[in-house]
Amino acid sequence: MNGRTMTPERFRLMVSAILLAGVSASAILIAAGFATSFLVGWQGSLTGAAAPSGPLPDPSNFGGLPDRLARLEPLALSQLGLLVLLATPVMRVASSVIGFALEGDRLYTALTVVVLAVLLGSIFFVR
Amino acid sequence: MTAGIFVVSVLAGLIGSLAGVGGGILVIPALTTLFGVDIHLAVGASIVSVIATSSGAASAYVRDRITDMRLGMFLELATTTGAVCGALLAAAVAPEFLYFLLGAVVLLSAAMQVARMSEEIPADEPNALATRLKLSSSYPDRRLGREVPYSARRVPLGFAMMWFAGVVSGLLGIGSGVLKVLAMDGAMRLPMKVSSATSNFMIGVTAAASAGIYIGRGDVDPRIAGPVALGVLAGALTGARLLHRVSNRSVRLIFLPVLVAVGLEMIGRGFGLSV
Repeated sequence: MNGRTMTPERFRLMVSAILLAGVSASAILIAAGFATSFLVGWQGSLTGAAAPSGPLPDPSNFGGLPDRLARLEPLALSQLGLLVLLATPVMRVASSVIGFALEGDRLYTALTVVVLAVLLGSIFFVR
Repeated sequence: MTAGIFVVSVLAGLIGSLAGVGGGILVIPALTTLFGVDIHLAVGASIVSVIATSSGAASAYVRDRITDMRLGMFLELATTTGAVCGALLAAAVAPEFLYFLLGAVVLLSAAMQVARMSEEIPADEPNALATRLKLSSSYPDRRLGREVPYSARRVPLGFAMMWFAGVVSGLLGIGSGVLKVLAMDGAMRLPMKVSSATSNFMIGVTAAASAGIYIGRGDVDPRIAGPVALGVLAGALTGARLLHRVSNRSVRLIFLPVLVAVGLEMIGRGFGLSV
């Protein structure tokens, strides 16, 4: 980006690229989870690690995701894909803060910061 | 079953991306009636479908300058704060009453849509507030082969309607794309394509705000939400390529049955029927 200028055209392309990257990454992860579930089962492991003993966890339980990702569980791949999808609109708002700021539009920078704060607040605090 | 869910979701994404709604209206009843999915998992999958429609379609609409990003951000201020108020109010309001009221509003708006059916582009009347908030812009209409200027009219009314749409989202956990399109098309008198594309842009944020709640409750099952997300994305990316070629009138024609279906479903829920 030369000289820190942000044209409306660049701003649009940036937001569009972020949305497309988010949905593409999410689609690849979800599809990978599905494809590999046919090989080793939903809660199998692509690394060949033995499944933890005890009853199989509920597929809609997103708990312990990092560990299950490390074992390359198909279910965990699909769950990560869904989380990436849910994070995509948040990334879009966050990147718009930067976009409006670089455009030098103070009104819309402030407005977008408020939207981002309310959005993050409602994700993490409203139950 | 997975293939069936995928096919229905492609259709939901296609219609949702053109009409500016999330496609939950198609996804929820199809999952529960055709595939026997539990209603909670169906609603969880529908939240995912809203975000997929929104992000998939918006990636094209933003690039092609049909989405008005300033308008979207400005109105998201209303929808996000409204949604928080709605979530806090949830214990105090009877959902049946709200569904009934909304159903009536949506069906009335359907009648107004019929009255506007012959209109291709609303008259462009710049006003001081729209200018100050930079809500006057233009979009390239490939169908008409020219740049179409527009200005948001009745900005306070549109903002208030969006706040209400946010309250409804927070209270009932729906994306309320229908109400967003109605606020932009009906109150602010923006061109139908801009209203639909900007609503599409916004509904992802509304849905993302409540998605954490649904995941926490265990309502998002990847075996169902996964094929829904993939199907809806394919449908939305296809739909986003079509919007260019169709007229504003055709968009309204696609939106109208969605409006009637949503209105009837809400009145049904108001009477305590679950779809």
